[in-house]
Amino acid sequence: MGYTWHFQVVWDYREVFVRGALVTAKLTVGALAIGLVLGLLFGMAKNSRRRWLRAPATAYIELFRATPTLVQLVWIYYSMPILIGIQLSSVVSVTIGLGLNAAAYFAEIFRAGIVSVDRGQLDAAKSIGMRYTQAMRRIILPQAIRRMVPPFINETATLMKLTTLGSVLAVYELLHESNNLITNTFRPLEVYTTLALAFFVIIFPVIYLSRWLERAWVARS
Amino acid sequence: MIRVVDLQKWFGKHHVLRGIDLEVQRGEVLVIIGPSGSGKSTLLKCLNFLEEYERGAVYFEDVLVGYRDVGGRRVRDHEASIARVRAQMGMVFQSFNLFPHKTVLENVIEGPVIVKRQDRQAAIELGTRLLRKVGLDDKLHVYPSKLSGGQQQRAAIARALAMQPRAMLFDEPTSALDPELVGEVLDVMKKLAAEGMTMLVVTHEMGFAREVADRVLMMDEGLVIEVGPPDQIFRSPKESRTAAFLSKVIH
Repeated sequence: MGYTWHFQVVWDYREVFVRGALVTAKLTVGALAIGLVLGLLFGMAKNSRRRWLRAPATAYIELFRATPTLVQLVWIYYSMPILIGIQLSSVVSVTIGLGLNAAAYFAEIFRAGIVSVDRGQLDAAKSIGMRYTQAMRRIILPQAIRRMVPPFINETATLMKLTTLGSVLAVYELLHESNNLITNTFRPLEVYTTLALAFFVIIFPVIYLSRWLERAWVARS
Repeated sequence: MIRVVDLQKWFGKHHVLRGIDLEVQRGEVLVIIGPSGSGKSTLLKCLNFLEEYERGAVYFEDVLVGYRDVGGRRVRDHEASIARVRAQMGMVFQSFNLFPHKTVLENVIEGPVIVKRQDRQAAIELGTRLLRKVGLDDKLHVYPSKLSGGQQQRAAIARALAMQPRAMLFDEPTSALDPELVGEVLDVMKKLAAEGMTMLVVTHEMGFAREVADRVLMMDEGLVIEVGPPDQIFRSPKESRTAAFLSKVIH
Protein backbone atom coordinates (compact mmCIF):
# COMPACT_ATOMS: atom_id res chain seq x y z
CA MET A 1 0.00 0.00 0.00
CA GLY A 2 2.56 2.50 -1.05
CA TYR A 3 0.02 4.86 -2.60
CA THR A 4 0.66 8.54 -2.04
CA TRP A 5 -2.47 10.71 -2.17
CA HIS A 6 -2.21 13.92 -4.16
CA PHE A 7 -5.26 15.99 -3.38
CA GLN A 8 -3.37 19.10 -4.47
CA VAL A 9 -4.25 18.07 -8.04
CA VAL A 10 -7.94 18.15 -7.22
CA TRP A 11 -7.60 21.54 -5.59
CA ASP A 12 -5.84 22.90 -8.66
CA TYR A 13 -8.81 21.87 -10.78
CA ARG A 14 -11.48 22.89 -8.24
CA GLU A 15 -13.39 24.99 -10.77
CA VAL A 16 -14.08 21.83 -12.75
CA PHE A 17 -16.03 20.51 -9.77
CA VAL A 18 -17.89 23.77 -9.33
CA ARG A 19 -18.81 23.76 -13.01
CA GLY A 20 -19.98 20.14 -12.78
CA ALA A 21 -21.93 20.81 -9.60
CA LEU A 22 -23.80 23.64 -11.30
CA VAL A 23 -24.85 21.38 -14.15
CA THR A 24 -25.85 18.70 -11.64
CA ALA A 25 -27.94 21.29 -9.80
CA LYS A 26 -29.55 22.46 -13.04
CA LEU A 27 -30.46 18.89 -14.03
CA THR A 28 -31.86 18.22 -10.57
CA VAL A 29 -33.98 21.36 -10.39
CA GLY A 30 -35.30 20.93 -13.92
CA ALA A 31 -36.16 17.28 -13.44
CA LEU A 32 -37.68 18.08 -10.05
CA ALA A 33 -40.02 20.66 -11.58
CA ILE A 34 -41.16 18.27 -14.31
CA GLY A 35 -41.44 15.39 -11.84
CA LEU A 36 -43.52 17.34 -9.32
CA VAL A 37 -46.07 18.69 -11.78
CA LEU A 38 -46.48 15.44 -13.71
CA GLY A 39 -46.26 13.42 -10.51
CA LEU A 40 -49.16 15.30 -8.93
CA LEU A 41 -51.26 14.83 -12.08
CA PHE A 42 -50.45 11.13 -12.42
CA GLY A 43 -50.88 10.55 -8.70
CA MET A 44 -54.36 12.10 -8.73
CA ALA A 45 -55.25 10.29 -11.94
CA LYS A 46 -54.29 7.00 -10.36
CA ASN A 47 -56.70 7.75 -7.49
CA SER A 48 -59.52 8.57 -9.89
CA ARG A 49 -62.71 6.53 -10.11
CA ARG A 50 -62.60 7.03 -13.87
CA ARG A 51 -60.91 4.15 -15.60
CA TRP A 52 -59.76 6.19 -18.59
CA LEU A 53 -57.73 8.36 -16.20
CA ARG A 54 -56.61 5.61 -13.86
CA ALA A 55 -55.43 3.08 -16.43
CA PRO A 56 -52.93 5.24 -18.35
CA ALA A 57 -51.55 6.72 -15.12
CA THR A 58 -51.00 3.26 -13.69
CA ALA A 59 -49.38 2.08 -16.91
CA TYR A 60 -47.06 5.08 -16.96
CA ILE A 61 -46.00 4.65 -13.35
CA GLU A 62 -45.34 0.93 -13.68
CA LEU A 63 -43.48 1.34 -16.97
CA PHE A 64 -41.05 3.88 -15.53
CA ARG A 65 -40.58 2.05 -12.27
CA ALA A 66 -39.95 -1.30 -13.91
CA THR A 67 -37.32 -0.23 -16.47
CA PRO A 68 -33.76 0.97 -15.79
CA THR A 69 -33.38 4.72 -15.61
CA LEU A 70 -30.27 4.60 -17.78
CA VAL A 71 -32.17 2.79 -20.52
CA GLN A 72 -34.94 5.41 -20.31
CA LEU A 73 -32.46 8.25 -20.73
CA VAL A 74 -30.65 6.65 -23.64
CA TRP A 75 -33.96 5.70 -25.25
CA ILE A 76 -35.32 9.24 -25.06
CA TYR A 77 -32.09 10.75 -26.39
CA TYR A 78 -31.79 8.47 -29.39
CA SER A 79 -35.46 7.92 -30.25
CA MET A 80 -36.74 11.51 -30.14
CA PRO A 81 -35.16 12.50 -33.50
CA ILE A 82 -36.74 9.43 -35.08
CA LEU A 83 -40.15 9.71 -33.41
CA ILE A 84 -40.78 13.47 -33.45
CA GLY A 85 -37.95 14.64 -35.68
CA ILE A 86 -36.35 16.87 -33.07
CA GLN A 87 -32.79 16.38 -31.86
CA LEU A 88 -32.79 17.52 -28.26
CA SER A 89 -29.52 18.60 -26.71
CA SER A 90 -28.20 16.05 -24.28
CA VAL A 91 -28.83 18.35 -21.31
CA VAL A 92 -32.48 18.93 -22.26
CA SER A 93 -32.94 15.28 -23.06
CA VAL A 94 -31.52 14.13 -19.71
CA THR A 95 -33.57 16.73 -17.82
CA ILE A 96 -36.76 15.56 -19.48
CA GLY A 97 -35.85 11.90 -19.04
CA LEU A 98 -35.07 12.27 -15.36
CA GLY A 99 -38.20 14.40 -14.93
CA LEU A 100 -40.40 11.75 -16.51
CA ASN A 101 -38.71 9.12 -14.39
CA ALA A 102 -39.12 11.11 -11.18
CA ALA A 103 -42.77 11.78 -12.04
CA ALA A 104 -43.51 8.06 -11.68
CA TYR A 105 -42.03 7.96 -8.19
CA PHE A 106 -43.53 11.29 -7.11
CA ALA A 107 -46.92 10.10 -8.38
CA GLU A 108 -46.77 7.18 -5.95
CA ILE A 109 -45.82 9.54 -3.12
CA PHE A 110 -48.69 11.91 -3.94
CA ARG A 111 -51.14 9.04 -4.32
CA ALA A 112 -50.17 7.41 -1.04
CA GLY A 113 -50.29 10.78 0.72
CA ILE A 114 -53.77 11.54 -0.57
CA VAL A 115 -55.04 8.06 0.30
CA SER A 116 -53.65 8.39 3.83
CA VAL A 117 -56.07 11.24 4.59
CA ASP A 118 -59.25 9.95 6.21
CA ARG A 119 -62.13 9.45 3.78
CA GLY A 120 -64.41 11.44 6.09
CA GLN A 121 -62.46 14.59 5.27
CA LEU A 122 -63.55 14.45 1.65
CA ASP A 123 -67.14 13.73 2.70
CA ALA A 124 -67.09 16.71 5.07
CA ALA A 125 -65.63 18.99 2.40
CA LYS A 126 -68.24 17.87 -0.13
CA SER A 127 -71.03 18.23 2.41
CA ILE A 128 -70.36 21.97 2.70
CA GLY A 129 -70.62 22.24 -1.06
CA MET A 130 -66.98 21.99 -2.14
CA ARG A 131 -66.13 20.67 -5.56
CA TYR A 132 -63.47 17.96 -5.82
CA THR A 133 -60.66 20.32 -6.78
CA GLN A 134 -61.55 22.72 -3.97
CA ALA A 135 -61.61 19.87 -1.47
CA MET A 136 -58.22 18.68 -2.72
CA ARG A 137 -56.60 22.08 -2.57
CA ARG A 138 -58.09 23.32 0.70
CA ILE A 139 -58.62 20.16 2.76
CA ILE A 140 -56.91 17.00 1.48
CA LEU A 141 -53.55 18.15 0.10
CA PRO A 142 -52.62 20.38 3.07
CA GLN A 143 -53.00 17.32 5.31
CA ALA A 144 -51.38 14.93 2.87
CA ILE A 145 -48.31 17.07 2.16
CA ARG A 146 -47.03 16.65 5.70
CA ARG A 147 -46.91 12.93 5.19
CA MET A 148 -45.37 13.36 1.74
CA VAL A 149 -42.41 15.54 2.68
CA PRO A 150 -40.05 12.88 4.07
CA PRO A 151 -40.42 10.43 1.13
CA PHE A 152 -40.37 13.40 -1.21
CA ILE A 153 -37.00 14.55 0.11
CA ASN A 154 -35.57 11.05 -0.15
CA GLU A 155 -36.74 10.88 -3.75
CA THR A 156 -35.06 14.21 -4.46
CA ALA A 157 -31.79 12.84 -3.10
CA THR A 158 -32.14 9.82 -5.36
CA LEU A 159 -32.86 12.09 -8.29
CA MET A 160 -29.72 14.09 -7.62
CA LYS A 161 -27.64 10.91 -7.64
CA LEU A 162 -29.29 9.77 -10.87
CA THR A 163 -28.02 12.90 -12.65
CA THR A 164 -24.64 11.13 -12.89
CA LEU A 165 -26.26 8.97 -15.59
CA GLY A 166 -26.10 12.05 -17.76
CA SER A 167 -22.38 11.39 -18.23
CA VAL A 168 -23.30 8.58 -20.58
CA LEU A 169 -24.88 11.13 -22.92
CA ALA A 170 -21.93 13.51 -22.54
CA VAL A 171 -23.66 15.92 -20.22
CA TYR A 172 -21.00 17.83 -18.34
CA GLU A 173 -22.31 17.11 -14.86
CA LEU A 174 -20.09 16.14 -11.94
CA LEU A 175 -19.25 12.60 -13.01
CA HIS A 176 -18.49 13.52 -16.59
CA GLU A 177 -16.29 16.42 -15.52
CA SER A 178 -14.51 14.07 -13.13
CA ASN A 179 -13.87 11.50 -15.85
CA ASN A 180 -12.37 14.17 -18.07
CA LEU A 181 -10.25 15.39 -15.25
CA ILE A 182 -8.90 11.91 -14.69
CA THR A 183 -7.76 11.62 -18.27
CA ASN A 184 -5.80 14.84 -17.74
CA THR A 185 -4.36 14.15 -14.33
CA PHE A 186 -4.22 10.34 -14.04
CA ARG A 187 -5.44 10.64 -10.43
CA PRO A 188 -8.70 8.59 -10.43
CA LEU A 189 -8.58 7.82 -6.72
CA GLU A 190 -8.38 11.45 -5.64
CA VAL A 191 -10.90 12.63 -8.18
CA TYR A 192 -13.51 9.97 -7.43
CA THR A 193 -13.05 10.41 -3.70
CA THR A 194 -13.67 14.11 -4.08
CA LEU A 195 -16.65 13.43 -6.31
CA ALA A 196 -18.22 11.13 -3.71
CA LEU A 197 -17.55 13.67 -1.01
CA ALA A 198 -19.12 16.43 -3.08
CA PHE A 199 -22.34 14.43 -3.39
CA PHE A 200 -22.27 13.54 0.27
CA VAL A 201 -21.90 17.17 1.29
CA ILE A 202 -24.89 18.14 -0.83
CA ILE A 203 -27.18 15.22 -0.11
CA PHE A 204 -26.56 14.32 3.52
CA PRO A 205 -28.02 17.56 4.94
CA VAL A 206 -31.10 16.99 2.80
CA ILE A 207 -31.60 13.47 4.12
CA TYR A 208 -30.92 14.68 7.63
CA LEU A 209 -33.54 17.39 7.20
CA SER A 210 -36.10 14.83 6.11
CA ARG A 211 -35.41 12.66 9.14
CA TRP A 212 -35.64 15.67 11.42
CA LEU A 213 -38.95 16.82 9.90
CA GLU A 214 -40.37 13.34 10.21
CA ARG A 215 -39.50 13.18 13.87
CA ALA A 216 -40.74 16.69 14.59
CA TRP A 217 -44.11 16.04 12.93
CA VAL A 218 -44.61 12.65 14.52
CA ALA A 219 -43.93 14.24 17.88
CA ARG A 220 -46.53 16.94 17.28
CA SER A 221 -49.46 14.80 16.13
CA MET B 1 -89.05 19.61 1.03
CA ILE B 2 -87.31 16.26 0.63
CA ARG B 3 -89.00 13.51 -1.32
CA VAL B 4 -87.58 10.05 -1.87
CA VAL B 5 -89.16 7.69 -4.39
CA ASP B 6 -88.32 4.00 -4.65
CA LEU B 7 -84.66 4.65 -3.76
CA GLN B 8 -82.40 1.68 -4.41
CA LYS B 9 -78.70 1.20 -3.94
CA TRP B 10 -76.25 -1.66 -4.20
CA PHE B 11 -72.79 -2.09 -2.73
CA GLY B 12 -71.48 -4.57 -5.28
CA LYS B 13 -73.97 -7.45 -5.07
CA HIS B 14 -75.34 -6.32 -1.71
CA HIS B 15 -78.71 -4.60 -2.11
CA VAL B 16 -78.48 -2.05 0.74
CA LEU B 17 -81.49 0.11 -0.07
CA ARG B 18 -84.33 -1.88 -1.53
CA GLY B 19 -86.92 0.74 -2.39
CA ILE B 20 -87.30 3.59 0.06
CA ASP B 21 -90.20 6.03 -0.13
CA LEU B 22 -90.13 9.02 2.13
CA GLU B 23 -91.33 12.58 2.41
CA VAL B 24 -90.10 15.24 4.81
CA GLN B 25 -91.93 18.54 5.27
CA ARG B 26 -90.29 21.88 5.94
CA GLY B 27 -89.57 22.27 9.65
CA GLU B 28 -90.10 18.60 10.37
CA VAL B 29 -87.80 16.49 12.53
CA LEU B 30 -87.60 12.93 11.27
CA VAL B 31 -85.68 10.44 13.37
CA ILE B 32 -84.52 7.28 11.63
CA ILE B 33 -83.98 4.21 13.78
CA GLY B 34 -83.17 0.60 13.09
CA PRO B 35 -80.52 -2.06 13.65
CA SER B 36 -77.00 -1.48 12.40
CA GLY B 37 -76.54 -2.47 8.79
CA SER B 38 -80.14 -1.62 7.97
CA GLY B 39 -79.09 1.12 5.54
CA LYS B 40 -79.90 4.20 7.67
CA SER B 41 -76.58 5.98 7.10
CA THR B 42 -76.54 5.03 3.43
CA LEU B 43 -80.02 6.49 3.01
CA LEU B 44 -78.87 9.74 4.61
CA LYS B 45 -75.79 9.94 2.38
CA CYS B 46 -77.88 9.33 -0.72
CA LEU B 47 -79.92 12.43 0.11
CA ASN B 48 -76.93 14.72 -0.54
CA PHE B 49 -75.36 12.32 -3.02
CA LEU B 50 -72.29 11.51 -0.93
CA GLU B 51 -73.41 8.03 -1.90
CA GLU B 52 -74.66 7.58 -5.44
CA TYR B 53 -77.93 5.73 -5.75
CA GLU B 54 -78.65 3.51 -8.71
CA ARG B 55 -82.42 3.49 -8.97
CA GLY B 56 -85.29 5.67 -7.82
CA ALA B 57 -85.07 9.36 -7.08
CA VAL B 58 -84.28 11.91 -4.42
CA TYR B 59 -85.89 15.32 -4.77
CA PHE B 60 -84.75 18.30 -2.76
CA GLU B 61 -87.26 21.12 -3.10
CA ASP B 62 -88.58 19.36 -6.21
CA VAL B 63 -85.16 19.20 -7.88
CA LEU B 64 -83.74 15.77 -8.66
CA VAL B 65 -80.50 15.22 -6.72
CA GLY B 66 -77.43 13.85 -8.48
CA TYR B 67 -78.85 13.24 -11.93
CA ARG B 68 -80.25 15.19 -14.83
CA ASP B 69 -82.26 14.30 -17.83
CA VAL B 70 -80.56 14.22 -21.24
CA GLY B 71 -82.98 13.29 -23.99
CA GLY B 72 -84.94 10.93 -21.77
CA ARG B 73 -81.83 9.28 -20.34
CA ARG B 74 -80.68 9.88 -16.82
CA VAL B 75 -77.01 10.92 -16.51
CA ARG B 76 -74.91 12.03 -13.59
CA ASP B 77 -75.37 15.72 -12.95
CA HIS B 78 -72.56 18.26 -13.30
CA GLU B 79 -70.32 18.41 -10.28
CA ALA B 80 -71.16 22.07 -9.74
CA SER B 81 -74.91 21.37 -9.56
CA ILE B 82 -74.40 18.49 -7.16
CA ALA B 83 -72.20 20.73 -5.00
CA ARG B 84 -74.87 23.43 -5.04
CA VAL B 85 -77.50 21.01 -3.72
CA ARG B 86 -75.12 19.72 -1.05
CA ALA B 87 -74.43 23.24 0.15
CA GLN B 88 -78.11 23.57 1.02
CA MET B 89 -78.10 20.46 3.20
CA GLY B 90 -75.87 20.52 6.24
CA MET B 91 -74.44 17.20 7.33
CA VAL B 92 -73.08 16.10 10.68
CA PHE B 93 -71.03 12.90 10.82
CA GLN B 94 -70.54 10.24 13.44
CA SER B 95 -66.78 10.87 13.47
CA PHE B 96 -67.13 14.71 13.37
CA ASN B 97 -64.68 15.07 10.44
CA LEU B 98 -63.51 18.51 11.45
CA PHE B 99 -60.58 19.74 9.38
CA PRO B 100 -57.62 19.08 11.72
CA HIS B 101 -55.31 21.64 10.11
CA LYS B 102 -57.73 24.49 10.74
CA THR B 103 -58.89 26.13 13.94
CA VAL B 104 -62.50 25.86 15.06
CA LEU B 105 -63.37 29.25 13.58
CA GLU B 106 -61.49 28.46 10.33
CA ASN B 107 -63.47 25.23 10.07
CA VAL B 108 -66.71 27.15 10.38
CA ILE B 109 -65.91 29.95 7.92
CA GLU B 110 -64.39 27.62 5.30
CA GLY B 111 -67.73 26.99 3.59
CA PRO B 112 -68.98 30.59 3.57
CA VAL B 113 -65.64 31.99 2.37
CA ILE B 114 -64.56 29.33 -0.13
CA VAL B 115 -67.87 27.94 -1.39
CA LYS B 116 -70.20 30.91 -1.06
CA ARG B 117 -67.42 33.48 -1.61
CA GLN B 118 -68.76 35.52 1.25
CA ASP B 119 -66.79 38.43 2.61
CA ARG B 120 -64.30 37.06 5.14
CA GLN B 121 -65.20 39.56 7.85
CA ALA B 122 -68.90 38.80 7.51
CA ALA B 123 -68.12 35.08 7.65
CA ILE B 124 -66.11 35.55 10.83
CA GLU B 125 -69.02 37.39 12.42
CA LEU B 126 -71.43 34.66 11.37
CA GLY B 127 -69.02 31.94 12.54
CA THR B 128 -68.51 33.60 15.90
CA ARG B 129 -72.25 33.92 16.40
CA LEU B 130 -72.81 30.24 15.52
CA LEU B 131 -70.01 29.10 17.80
CA ARG B 132 -71.52 31.09 20.62
CA LYS B 133 -74.82 29.37 19.92
CA VAL B 134 -73.23 25.92 20.32
CA GLY B 135 -71.34 27.09 23.42
CA LEU B 136 -67.85 27.25 21.95
CA ASP B 137 -67.21 30.98 21.95
CA ASP B 138 -64.12 30.42 24.08
CA LYS B 139 -62.63 27.93 21.55
CA LEU B 140 -62.57 29.99 18.35
CA HIS B 141 -58.83 29.76 17.78
CA VAL B 142 -58.26 26.28 19.12
CA TYR B 143 -57.42 23.30 16.91
CA PRO B 144 -59.92 20.40 16.89
CA SER B 145 -57.42 17.96 18.42
CA LYS B 146 -57.53 20.01 21.63
CA LEU B 147 -61.31 19.59 21.98
CA SER B 148 -63.39 16.86 23.60
CA GLY B 149 -65.61 14.76 21.35
CA GLY B 150 -68.69 16.68 22.41
CA GLN B 151 -67.02 19.99 21.64
CA GLN B 152 -65.81 18.71 18.26
CA GLN B 153 -69.31 17.61 17.33
CA ARG B 154 -70.77 20.95 18.35
CA ALA B 155 -68.14 22.69 16.24
CA ALA B 156 -69.08 20.41 13.34
CA ILE B 157 -72.73 21.41 13.76
CA ALA B 158 -71.69 25.08 13.64
CA ARG B 159 -69.66 24.39 10.48
CA ALA B 160 -72.72 22.88 8.81
CA LEU B 161 -74.97 25.73 9.96
CA ALA B 162 -72.55 28.32 8.58
CA MET B 163 -73.72 27.41 5.08
CA GLN B 164 -77.22 28.45 6.23
CA PRO B 165 -78.66 25.15 5.02
CA ARG B 166 -82.36 24.54 4.52
CA ALA B 167 -82.13 21.10 6.09
CA MET B 168 -79.72 19.27 8.36
CA LEU B 169 -78.72 15.62 8.13
CA PHE B 170 -77.34 13.99 11.28
CA ASP B 171 -75.60 10.64 10.84
CA GLU B 172 -75.37 9.06 14.30
CA PRO B 173 -74.03 12.32 15.76
CA THR B 174 -73.56 10.96 19.28
CA SER B 175 -72.47 7.37 18.62
CA ALA B 176 -68.75 8.12 18.92
CA LEU B 177 -69.11 10.12 22.12
CA ASP B 178 -68.44 9.18 25.71
CA PRO B 179 -71.81 8.87 27.48
CA GLU B 180 -71.30 11.99 29.58
CA LEU B 181 -70.80 14.10 26.41
CA VAL B 182 -73.92 12.98 24.57
CA GLY B 183 -76.22 15.43 26.38
CA GLU B 184 -74.44 18.59 25.27
CA VAL B 185 -74.71 17.62 21.59
CA LEU B 186 -78.36 16.59 21.89
CA ASP B 187 -79.10 19.92 23.59
CA VAL B 188 -77.76 21.81 20.60
CA MET B 189 -79.85 19.65 18.30
CA LYS B 190 -82.98 20.25 20.39
CA LYS B 191 -82.37 23.97 20.17
CA LEU B 192 -82.14 23.71 16.38
CA ALA B 193 -85.34 21.69 16.20
CA ALA B 194 -87.11 24.25 18.36
CA GLU B 195 -86.04 26.96 15.91
CA GLY B 196 -87.84 25.10 13.15
CA MET B 197 -84.88 23.55 11.32
CA THR B 198 -85.78 20.67 9.05
CA MET B 199 -83.83 17.73 10.43
CA LEU B 200 -83.21 14.10 9.51
CA VAL B 201 -81.50 12.31 12.35
CA VAL B 202 -80.12 8.79 12.33
CA THR B 203 -79.61 7.89 15.98
CA HIS B 204 -79.82 5.28 18.69
CA GLU B 205 -80.87 7.91 21.25
CA MET B 206 -84.46 6.85 21.81
CA GLY B 207 -84.99 9.55 24.44
CA PHE B 208 -84.16 12.19 21.85
CA ALA B 209 -86.46 10.56 19.32
CA ARG B 210 -89.34 10.49 21.76
CA GLU B 211 -88.86 14.06 22.85
CA VAL B 212 -87.94 15.87 19.64
CA ALA B 213 -89.10 13.85 16.64
CA ASP B 214 -92.24 14.75 14.75
CA ARG B 215 -92.11 11.32 13.17
CA VAL B 216 -89.97 8.25 13.70
CA LEU B 217 -89.00 5.99 10.82
CA MET B 218 -88.01 2.41 11.47
CA MET B 219 -85.70 0.78 8.92
CA ASP B 220 -84.51 -2.78 8.54
CA GLU B 221 -82.70 -4.58 5.75
CA GLY B 222 -82.91 -1.64 3.38
CA LEU B 223 -86.65 -1.12 3.75
CA VAL B 224 -88.91 1.24 5.66
CA ILE B 225 -90.69 -0.95 8.18
CA GLU B 226 -92.97 1.73 9.55
CA VAL B 227 -93.29 5.46 10.06
CA GLY B 228 -95.30 7.25 12.68
CA PRO B 229 -95.37 9.76 15.48
CA PRO B 230 -93.01 8.81 18.31
CA ASP B 231 -95.86 8.08 20.71
CA GLN B 232 -97.30 5.49 18.40
CA ILE B 233 -93.96 3.94 17.42
CA PHE B 234 -92.71 3.61 20.98
CA ARG B 235 -96.04 2.69 22.68
CA SER B 236 -97.77 0.59 20.09
CA PRO B 237 -95.58 -0.32 17.11
CA LYS B 238 -97.56 -1.91 14.30
CA GLU B 239 -94.78 -4.15 13.11
CA SER B 240 -93.28 -6.96 15.11
CA ARG B 241 -89.78 -6.06 13.85
CA THR B 242 -90.12 -2.56 15.33
CA ALA B 243 -91.25 -4.00 18.64
CA ALA B 244 -88.38 -6.49 18.65
CA PHE B 245 -85.83 -3.77 17.86
CA LEU B 246 -87.18 -1.40 20.51
CA SER B 247 -87.21 -4.06 23.19
CA LYS B 248 -83.51 -4.59 22.50
CA VAL B 249 -82.43 -0.93 22.62
CA ILE B 250 -84.68 0.33 25.44
CA HIS B 251 -83.80 -1.09 28.80
